[in-house]
Amino acid sequence: MVILRAGLCPGLTAEMIQLLKANGIVTVVDLVSSDLEEVARKCSLSYKALVAVRRVLLAQFSAFPVNGADLYEELKSSTAILSTGSRSLDRLLDSGLYTGEVTELTGAPGSGKTQVCLSIAVSTSHDLKQNVLYVDSTGGFTASRLLQLAQTRTGDEEEQVSALQRIQVARVFDVYKMLDVLQELRCSVSQQVLSSLGPVKVLVVDSVSAVICPLLGGRQAEGLALMMQLARELKTLARELSMAVVVTNHVTRDGSSGHLKPALGRSWSFVPSTRVLLESREGTWGKASTCRIASLTKSSRQPTGIEVELDIGSCGVLEESPAASGEGC
Amino acid sequence: MQRDVGSFPLAPGLRAKLIGAGFQTVQELLEIGPCELSKEIGISKEEALETLQIVRRECNSNATKTAGDPEPVGKCTALELLAQEQAQGFIITFCSALDDILGGGVQLTKITEICGAPGVGKTQLCMQLAVDVQIPECFGGLAGEAVFIDTEGSFMVDRVVDIATACVQHCQLIAETHQEEDFQKSLETFSFESILSHIYYFRCHDYTELLAQVYLLPDFLSEHSKIRLVIVDGIAFPFRHDFEDLSLRTRLLNGLAQQLISIANAHKLAVVLTNQMTTRIGQSQSMLVPALGESWGHAATIRLIFHWDNKQRLATLYKSPSQKESTVSFHITVSIHFWGEDSGMEGGVYPKGSLQKICALRAGHTFGPLEHCVQDNTGVATFIQC
Repeated sequence: MVILRAGLCPGLTAEMIQLLKANGIVTVVDLVSSDLEEVARKCSLSYKALVAVRRVLLAQFSAFPVNGADLYEELKSSTAILSTGSRSLDRLLDSGLYTGEVTELTGAPGSGKTQVCLSIAVSTSHDLKQNVLYVDSTGGFTASRLLQLAQTRTGDEEEQVSALQRIQVARVFDVYKMLDVLQELRCSVSQQVLSSLGPVKVLVVDSVSAVICPLLGGRQAEGLALMMQLARELKTLARELSMAVVVTNHVTRDGSSGHLKPALGRSWSFVPSTRVLLESREGTWGKASTCRIASLTKSSRQPTGIEVELDIGSCGVLEESPAASGEGC
Repeated sequence: MQRDVGSFPLAPGLRAKLIGAGFQTVQELLEIGPCELSKEIGISKEEALETLQIVRRECNSNATKTAGDPEPVGKCTALELLAQEQAQGFIITFCSALDDILGGGVQLTKITEICGAPGVGKTQLCMQLAVDVQIPECFGGLAGEAVFIDTEGSFMVDRVVDIATACVQHCQLIAETHQEEDFQKSLETFSFESILSHIYYFRCHDYTELLAQVYLLPDFLSEHSKIRLVIVDGIAFPFRHDFEDLSLRTRLLNGLAQQLISIANAHKLAVVLTNQMTTRIGQSQSMLVPALGESWGHAATIRLIFHWDNKQRLATLYKSPSQKESTVSFHITVSIHFWGEDSGMEGGVYPKGSLQKICALRAGHTFGPLEHCVQDNTGVATFIQC
């Protein structure tokens, strides 16, 4: 719904706009969808001028259809698959994180979402030598743990330092600041401002529900609008800037069945293309275990219900044998 | 790239009017003046002016950030954060085992939640931490002050006096063996009166007072910049009784958690919360779980659960971003009241660098990078040099 303004297209003058507004035509959609003969008669404007204006507006504002073959070629050349650093997680995600898509990790507190995010950040920054932006909204980001994970991958200190330098961290605790950070990222990339690092390939948002949950519910729809605003920003970043976006989400207890389900409701469930649920093994408190089970709950490429085991011990998310985790790597 | 009008912190009614009038992106708003805007959407001129100011301020801050320095405010690399974290201290708990599983003590800039059944020692630990945060820097502490927000009325001043006196005695013993000037100097200001005068106590009787207190905390903190610890003893109590609307409760709690973590981050302090336990009845068994529901579990960064095992108190680290899950046992005693597995000994924990050649005496302890001094029951300090 773009408002008609003078100079929006050649042929649209200020007097024309006043006359149109007086007859209730304010936006581009109003003009393009109305019967031009009637409008010409009511506003006493020339029919030919209106048709010319409509043609230009349609060319300017309508979407351009693309055929499937072109789309496929474009996807083949622009999509990258980034390995997460863990073979079992890669198997679950159909060989890794796809750029252009949003992947979601959900789980109960202590199930390892932050650990998997840190692990993905380190493996992208060290193995793939790409830049990562980590948006932290829960305070769970610990740089010393990141160093630990980097140290298990390489013993060379310089490499560890450069791996840590490629990870940028933004700490935001409310939704407007998060939108600010994402908007800034979009601006800096689209204006091709080269920061000292270069283009960001992976965006990790930990977590999205911490900033949205205080706004949802109640009688106001503002929370839902902001959530969708955030969803749109994330999807735009993923699609247009070819980034892989990873978000984490909380779980809530379903009122009727008592099972755990991802927070933020049905509206959010359409936003990520892939959803992974992390759970710890059934056990009592006394037994501490670093084993987690990741199951695929939504995917456009794989059958759902696949489960893999992850070990979030000191080696990070690797699927090494239990002997390695026992020693604490 | 245009920024959407909906992503600015405007009032919902105003936003609805703007979108209804056809304004979608920031560009359209910036081109129009306040008088035209007020005519277009039917609001007063002052409101229109305010709206335009908010929008312009956000846009300008974005523009200066992208045009000017390459790393804008709020973002930093992981390497810089690592340097910051390593320079930060911890708040020790005077129980070496507990400090070990926490990775050195209660961490700054994070929310630590302590859950437990009644009588297991949550308030005791909070009072201990309020004293420990004030230990002078030469003894390995933070030399900070503490804010204690009490909702249950369980804060006992006499107990804090006991803890403070024991702590001062402990530091005096250290200073006596290690004849160094700065130890003596800092001891002059470290007495139990000064400890008590640096604990700021607030009593909140219901959830509205608690919310108000937390939202007013940033002003208080900017006046008292030495505060390094905020304790909320009993975050569950005001939210558990007389609350009909559960979705409102979840929203308020989540908002409270975000406010607390942003305070912790902005002022570089630690937040400690205590929570109660409730019973969850499953198919075949019932278990004790922390109160306030599943969504509250995500609020705390670090979660410690205290529980009983016959007559022994156990502490389990249930959730932490950098430490493994583990369980240790602890005791509560009269003077320095928290210590680890070996009974009958008082132990203190000081980071390396402040007391170089002091090592632990008794076997059976596993010490990480921290070294200990031990005092036996007769009050004579025994130090063994490595």
